[in-house]
Amino acid sequence: MSTKEKTGWIVGGVLIVLYCLAPIAWIVSLSFKAPADLSNASFLPTTPSTENYATILTGNASELFLPALVNSFGICLIATFISCVLSMFAAYAIARLDFPGKKFILGTALAVAIFPVISIVTPLFNLWRQIGLYDTWPGLIIPYLSLTLPLSIWTMSAFFREIPWEMEQAAQVDGATTWQAFRKVIVPLAAPGVFTTAIIAFFIAWNDFVYGISLTSTSASRPVPAALGLFSGASQFEDPTGAIAAAAVIVTIPVVVLVLVFQRRIVAGLTNGAVKG
Amino acid sequence: MPRTTNHRVRSRAGRTARLLGAGAAAVVAASGLAACGSGDDGVPVLNWYINPDSGGQAEIASRCTDDAGGRYTIEVSQLPRDSPSQREQLVRRLAANDSSIDIMSLDPPYIPEFAQAGFFAPVPEDVAQRVTTDVVQSAVDGSTWDGELVTVPFWANTQLLWYRTSVAEAAGLDMTQPVTWDQLVEAAQGQDVRLGVQGIRSESLTVWLNALIESAGGSIIAENSTDPEDIELGLTSEAGVRAAEVLRDVSASGTGGPALSTANEDTTATDFEGDQGGFQVNYPFVYPRAQAAVEGGTLDQAVLDDYGWALYPRVDADTETAPPYGGINLGVGAFSEHPDFAYEATECITSTENQAYYFVSNGNPASDTTVYEDPDVLSEFPMAPTILESLQLAKPRPQTPYYSEVSGGIQREYHPTASVDPEQTPQDATELIEAVLRKEQLL
Amino acid sequence: MSTTTSPPTPRTKAEPAPERHTSDRAKAERKLGWLLAGPALAVMLLVTAYPIAQAFYDSLFDYRLTDPENRSFTGLNNYLVVLTDQLWWRSIGVTALITVVTVAVELVLGFGLALVMNKALKAIRPVLRAAILIPYAVITVVSAFAWQFAFDINTGFINSWFVWLPGVDSTTDWFGDFGTSIFVVCLAEIWKTTPFISLLLLAGLAQVPEVLQEAAQVDGATWWQRMRKVTIPNMKAAIMVALLFRTLDAFRVFDSIFVMTAGANGTETVSFLAYRQTISRLEIGLGSAVSVLLFLTVVGIAFTFIKGFKVDLSQARGDS
Repeated sequence: MSTKEKTGWIVGGVLIVLYCLAPIAWIVSLSFKAPADLSNASFLPTTPSTENYATILTGNASELFLPALVNSFGICLIATFISCVLSMFAAYAIARLDFPGKKFILGTALAVAIFPVISIVTPLFNLWRQIGLYDTWPGLIIPYLSLTLPLSIWTMSAFFREIPWEMEQAAQVDGATTWQAFRKVIVPLAAPGVFTTAIIAFFIAWNDFVYGISLTSTSASRPVPAALGLFSGASQFEDPTGAIAAAAVIVTIPVVVLVLVFQRRIVAGLTNGAVKG
Repeated sequence: MPRTTNHRVRSRAGRTARLLGAGAAAVVAASGLAACGSGDDGVPVLNWYINPDSGGQAEIASRCTDDAGGRYTIEVSQLPRDSPSQREQLVRRLAANDSSIDIMSLDPPYIPEFAQAGFFAPVPEDVAQRVTTDVVQSAVDGSTWDGELVTVPFWANTQLLWYRTSVAEAAGLDMTQPVTWDQLVEAAQGQDVRLGVQGIRSESLTVWLNALIESAGGSIIAENSTDPEDIELGLTSEAGVRAAEVLRDVSASGTGGPALSTANEDTTATDFEGDQGGFQVNYPFVYPRAQAAVEGGTLDQAVLDDYGWALYPRVDADTETAPPYGGINLGVGAFSEHPDFAYEATECITSTENQAYYFVSNGNPASDTTVYEDPDVLSEFPMAPTILESLQLAKPRPQTPYYSEVSGGIQREYHPTASVDPEQTPQDATELIEAVLRKEQLL
Repeated sequence: MSTTTSPPTPRTKAEPAPERHTSDRAKAERKLGWLLAGPALAVMLLVTAYPIAQAFYDSLFDYRLTDPENRSFTGLNNYLVVLTDQLWWRSIGVTALITVVTVAVELVLGFGLALVMNKALKAIRPVLRAAILIPYAVITVVSAFAWQFAFDINTGFINSWFVWLPGVDSTTDWFGDFGTSIFVVCLAEIWKTTPFISLLLLAGLAQVPEVLQEAAQVDGATWWQRMRKVTIPNMKAAIMVALLFRTLDAFRVFDSIFVMTAGANGTETVSFLAYRQTISRLEIGLGSAVSVLLFLTVVGIAFTFIKGFKVDLSQARGDS
């Protein structure tokens, strides 16, 4: 490859990286602007200030933000965990077993994935307030499954198809039952796929907004994206731009870390589950 | 088979599982905490749902908890920032007969809807008597529905006309006399400064239009009724058309700045602090806001010293102005397990002392007229007498259980304000709102 | 028992075996299959099929949450109200506009990104991959706030940076009218979801047989000819799947509208309309009708894609 071509690639790469990171850099920069500096009409703060972080972590908005952060982590992790367990079984059945209705399950997953969330939020809200799930953790975890399950089932089925099943058969020949073969042989082999699926499912749950604003009303279960809209400035009429920016940065940190550490797996998971010729 | 990889992953997955276990334990703990209506020691906990402020209501809650001497404690929960969302959250919970709502900080326009739906515990007569003594009339009106006091007046907000003394002088305006919108537009254009108004498509727009109509001697709702189909609107009345004219003229003059159609209270205040600041109609928070900016070193003391204030502008020179009325009143939830304590607590919250504290610390004016004699209030807010005068003239927004439909319809038709047609827009808005109330149209 | 070759696909009746043994085994396998997949299926149906059925039922009533006593059956009247209201058609138009613009731009941009990533130097590939995943992983609401603050007349820097562009100056109010608001909304959506499309296309690119490319090159085909005759036809499945998923996703756009414009200046989308009727206005009946209509529209789009464009999802989803 010629030097010229190399330079071309590097320039292209830099452009792509800039494109991807510019809005993130902007919100980080914004979060370090002091309230009076917010309208300085430039990208960077005049003098960096951590005032906004103080507001959301220890100040005025901390009572809103900190419980929301706990809720977001807790609810998303539990939803991710449940959907991984459920889809692990389902994906095994789909990839491995022969039973009627397999197509139906995949079709259902597809239908659920394209479902407009807004269409079901009102009936869920009505049901939840009748049975007492409104504004509780399970009240969000259950609908989150509708977001995470379909994708988990596809991604995991795709991963499971690549597992060398001969090993399971070998185990069965050695006298293990189907269940034992599954548990002893397949589970360890499947762990990377499950783990990748978990990351992607977590992203999806973490991203939710509609359920978060519709099915919660207090710090008992309100997740961060919904809490962002509730911040206020020094008085109710002042815009909370700085606090929102700081909170936005904090909720972006976990996903950035996950992306940096597991990028190869995430890409494999996303493409595996979606396109498999 | 690359076994090592799998082992590594397995141990990582194991750790994840343990983390999840810890998370699940936390859920149980958290839901246990959230569920209890009274503390561990049996002392009732009153939940007070507050609108966001600078921490004043939380402080008042703790003061009143102390005052209760261990009979009950008050805990605050924060509602969203804008009042329509506050209403949404509360209605959703109350529709579920939620007993955890004891006290609510409510924006007055939504009070009739709550009252009509039976979401308030009735106000005991003696309480009603006490909490309306020495209270500005607009706040009492705002707490009343269908001839009955249904909430407890807390603090009362109103917009003033803020001006830069230097600009007013240069324009030759005598600010000791009432001024009209036309005069202000002319002065702002002549001096090349801004006349800050809130043209954003939100409650702020309804506030502005309502003040204009009331100032012109009309009302958004001409004939009120509890039946949505019998409500008669006054938008097309002479006063309604006149209000639309002023709205259009102010907006089309360009003095509202380039972003008028997204201007809210905060952006208006920012503009007023800036180089082009001349006039603005806004709530009293602009004053402590500017003081904070001076302390923070981003605003010149000279600018703050230049601040002047007067009553809200008139529509017609010889008709008294009707400034916006806002603020917060306290409702007691119909499903509360301790309505008696809750009403006792509202009396403590709205005590003269606490209202004065709230005014001074958070910049939210009191509804209790005696607060305006407090020397602390007068030294912090030199414009307090003007605020009181404004509150006595102020008119609430239309009081109807269908307020959101009325306000939403107005916002849809009158936004952007610069393209309002005084002949057509009131007519369109009336037709839209009537159709929406008959449920023949979406909003 | 079947002899499995790679790729391992479950066989149906692969080999004749002793009869009783097979049927027992098949029965056990069937049972296990339902046992394992059943819970996931049940949860999915429970959180979607039940609510949509309930929404349909609610849509037949005149029902306001704050006025439960006056709930009354109105048949299909709510649908009549929605379908004769210009607000509905306008929001359909806005949603379609956002969908077409974002999906078209994303497809082109995503294809470009995929080509670069496919060919990029080994050294920079991980960097690109990580960078490209960031917009995908960032919360939509955060992205919407970031773009909104950037373009906002008070807090933004766009006006001062791009003042040299015709039509932009320090007083450009991006959220002040329809065109510019939609432009910013689309920009935010495109930024956020292009990476996803590009990853799908990258996987498609990897499936184009290298041999064909080389053969075309030997035949003297130009880059563009190879692209048109070899690369794109071989990626058709991947492209269609990416299109389908992004189209349905874009059609549900809600978060960005909620954060950036709240529907002002006629920028309301169908999802936002549904949200406002039910959650804000508490008109459960009317809002449910909007929800059901939105659902039917989405189903219609999916159906058109699958039947009209013959998107083979079973192939694309590895369900061979």
